[in-house]
Amino acid sequence: MSQHDDRTRHTRRPGLTRRQLLQGMGAASTLPLLGGIAPFAIANGSAGRVVVIGGGFGGATAAKYLKRANPAIEVTLVEPAEVFYTCPFSNLFLGGLRDMRSIAHGYDELRDRYGVRVVHSLAEDVDPDGHRVHLANGETLAYDRLVLSPGIDFRWNGLEGYDEAAAELAPHAWKAGAQSELLRRQLEAMDDGGTFVMVAPENPYRCPPGPYERASLVAHYFSQHKPNSKVLILDAKDSFSKQGLFTAGWERLYGDRIEWVGLSDDGRVTRVDAENLEVETEFGTRHRADVLNVIPPQKAGFIAERAGVTDDSGWVPVKPATFESERVRDVYVVGDATVAAPMPKSGFCANNQAKVVAAAIAAELSGRSAPEPYWTNTCYSLIGPEYGISVAGVYRVQEGVIAEVEGAGGLSPADAPDHIRALEAEYAVGWYNAICQDTWGTSV
Amino acid sequence: MILSWRRASTLSIVLLLGGLASTAQAENEFSREQLEVMAGGCASCHGTDGRLAGAVPAIAGRPASLLESRMLAFKADEVEDTTVMNRIAKGFSDEELAALARHFAENPGPQGDVP
Ligand SMILES: Cc1cc2nc3c(=O)[nH]c(=O)nc-3n(C[C@H](O)[C@H](O)[C@H](O)COP(=O)(O)OP(=O)(O)OC[C@H]3O[C@@H](n4cnc5c(N)ncnc54)[C@H](O)[C@@H]3O)c2cc1C
Repeated sequence: MSQHDDRTRHTRRPGLTRRQLLQGMGAASTLPLLGGIAPFAIANGSAGRVVVIGGGFGGATAAKYLKRANPAIEVTLVEPAEVFYTCPFSNLFLGGLRDMRSIAHGYDELRDRYGVRVVHSLAEDVDPDGHRVHLANGETLAYDRLVLSPGIDFRWNGLEGYDEAAAELAPHAWKAGAQSELLRRQLEAMDDGGTFVMVAPENPYRCPPGPYERASLVAHYFSQHKPNSKVLILDAKDSFSKQGLFTAGWERLYGDRIEWVGLSDDGRVTRVDAENLEVETEFGTRHRADVLNVIPPQKAGFIAERAGVTDDSGWVPVKPATFESERVRDVYVVGDATVAAPMPKSGFCANNQAKVVAAAIAAELSGRSAPEPYWTNTCYSLIGPEYGISVAGVYRVQEGVIAEVEGAGGLSPADAPDHIRALEAEYAVGWYNAICQDTWGTSV
Repeated sequence: MILSWRRASTLSIVLLLGGLASTAQAENEFSREQLEVMAGGCASCHGTDGRLAGAVPAIAGRPASLLESRMLAFKADEVEDTTVMNRIAKGFSDEELAALARHFAENPGPQGDVP
């Protein structure tokens, strides 16, 4: 649908006053001058320039919702890839339940319908004083506000022996795309009777329940095609997200096919020998894998460091109400790169944080104060194609920090009957379609 | 009390009649900008503006009173076979749920049909 159609529909919306309409359309010139200073935008008809780095869950959502809030804001989205493969549902691809095309999204709608300028290049550096971003293609972009949603980078060699070359032998598949395809090929090539070994990281990392959903769906694939094969999870933690629900689901669907070894039972891997598909744990136990999946330690995407917004942890502290960097003015950060606990590093949260940031920036550029933030999260995990579980949370700023609203959220019930697990599996698919429509819009 | 989906819908229709009168009065409790942010989480499962129909139903363009009574029933754990909406609805005050209901009622439904 073209932008024109969309606007026509909006003007027909009942109950919308002319004033609301003008606000929605970002008629900057109708706004009063604040403190004698005209919003800089008026002169050239623009309501300000915003550069968004990263076209994943956080960045694509921020770009779209900035334009929705005020089409007069000039929004440039910088993302090297023309096709984005989502990590969500990449575990279904690994389990043989989806193809890669079904988790691929593009930027046409952001460009054609919402008027976002999309530049397919890598942001190499940020000059926060000069308010400029330098791209690998040689272009320099000036901004009034900068949004970073670069996701994660790996701490290569943070786990001894695991570097970029090792990832070609023992894939992480923790960014979806070529790595997911490599891991899937290895699973397909593995002889029946083999062992899939997964190395799971300590907190914090992208998608707390992700490793356990992956173990589940690899076990599903084995149960269909390689009945004598096993899954072994070596974990640097003693507990994990939705543990009770996962453990019960594993037993119910896969018997003893999946074995989990936690920190206290010498589950923490300290060295990887990718060439021999072997790992060594803290107390010297060696495990040989037939397929080895290493989920390495992580940090915010490198551009966050270049912008000067990270702290010693490697992640980005932000002001709770707006997600503006605590360290650098006019730079906002969303998604996995941030320290946003109790919100998890999920695509759902990145999408919700981006909407709050878009509203805050749009308000600020027009001289109004930002609306109160509201965030929600639901992380679905599929233990089998018809067996879904979830954890949810609603978040607000309380006493200056991000807090989970008491009495809300929580886990799927431990004693839910099969038809509820099946419903949650269905809703997981509904969620996936909706969040991808809301973020990239390529499915509608 | 546990209501089945059908009972809850019947109840909603009854509430619909009583609900219309009160719809207009609280209209300006939250600014449009504020409502957009409050509704941000809804779109992550129901699509932008709540308009995506599928396994998770569209919520745009439905009568406000029906949406409101349904969300209050979720919040009170009165809808049978609920999976996640009871956990979400509990994160919002009754006034917020009412405002969200009016907000989505104003959006055109999935086919662009104005309610
Ligand atoms: C196996 C797995 C399963 C998951 N399942 C779920 C799930 O079911 N539900 C859920 O909510 N979440 C899930 N997640 C988590 C989800 O993928 C992340 O939380 C989400 O992607 C975070 O969004 P983001 O915008 O921070 O980063 P991303 O979505 O990774 O986007 C970052 C983008 O920034 C770009 N970028 C980075 N640096 C630069 C630069 N310098 N210049 C330009 N562009 C740059 C990258 O190319 C990338 O496209 C899962 C993750 C994994 C690994």
